[in-house]
Amino acid sequence: MSKTILAVDDSPSVRQMVRLTLVGAGYTVVEAVDGQDALEKATAQRFDAILTDQNMPRLDGLGFIRKFRTLPEGKGVPIVFLSTESQDTLKAQAKEAGAIGWMIKPFDQAQLLAVVKKVAGA
Amino acid sequence: MTRCADRPSASQISITHVTQGSCVASASPNEVYATILGSCICTCMCDPVAGVGGMNHFLLPSSEVEDAQHLRYGSHAMELLINALLKLGAARQRIEAKIFGGAMMTPQLGAIGQANAAFARRYLRDEGILCTAQSLGGNRARRIRFWPKTGRVQQMFLGSEDVVPTEQPQLRLQGGAGDVTFFDRHSNAEMPDPIKEPR
Repeated sequence: MSKTILAVDDSPSVRQMVRLTLVGAGYTVVEAVDGQDALEKATAQRFDAILTDQNMPRLDGLGFIRKFRTLPEGKGVPIVFLSTESQDTLKAQAKEAGAIGWMIKPFDQAQLLAVVKKVAGA
Repeated sequence: MTRCADRPSASQISITHVTQGSCVASASPNEVYATILGSCICTCMCDPVAGVGGMNHFLLPSSEVEDAQHLRYGSHAMELLINALLKLGAARQRIEAKIFGGAMMTPQLGAIGQANAAFARRYLRDEGILCTAQSLGGNRARRIRFWPKTGRVQQMFLGSEDVVPTEQPQLRLQGGAGDVTFFDRHSNAEMPDPIKEPR
């Protein structure tokens, strides 16, 4: 059974890029358009990993993780940031909120696949 | 002759030249962004309510519209601009765009300008960003001036006697692009690129 990844980004183009990369490698991808959408989907279904952007309307990436980690469904699901941001302060906040990693955009398919394979398994 | 009270005088204007691979944004009424385009694309985005705007300038290296590079680097150039506007107080749903460039300047560059223009149009459509003006294609270079505070754009076609910077497709990335930082128990083994340890 294939691993299921939640891709959270307000940009349809970025979600498309993530989906094309991961589906091509055998993963199932569910998309969320912002942190609020992600919170609803991640509490309704268990994911093997979550990839989230930071800057999004309604609820940003950090807000999503902070809320999600307080819920029973939020325990143990690896979450990695995919962001154009690279400030150490943001990374520190992400770590504090419960993210396990931070990947700076843009990335190529091999880099993304390696990260997903590492955190979710093949 | 009277001058509009809220319009800055010529001495107050700061003109920034936006080169290929750059992305700039401002809420200042004194700021003007300028660039010269051949095959390149520049996107001028503005939130007219917040009074903020910005410009990017890119040239994607392939004439294949479906090339993965277009998605990767073109989307990145656009996302950097959108994020810069959001940080200045723009609301994503209010952002409007004007796109320019994509000319066929030399046979050596083939249909790259056309593919770049197609990418820009498609990106805005996919992202639901209103495109309020566009001037794309042709075979003449363009000089663009953009007032980010108001979204006003001035375009001038250049003649063959004007000197247009040579354009070579190149992808300039900010430092750290593609880098991964794992915070805790995940080791850095088996990763294709250098991984940063947590600070």
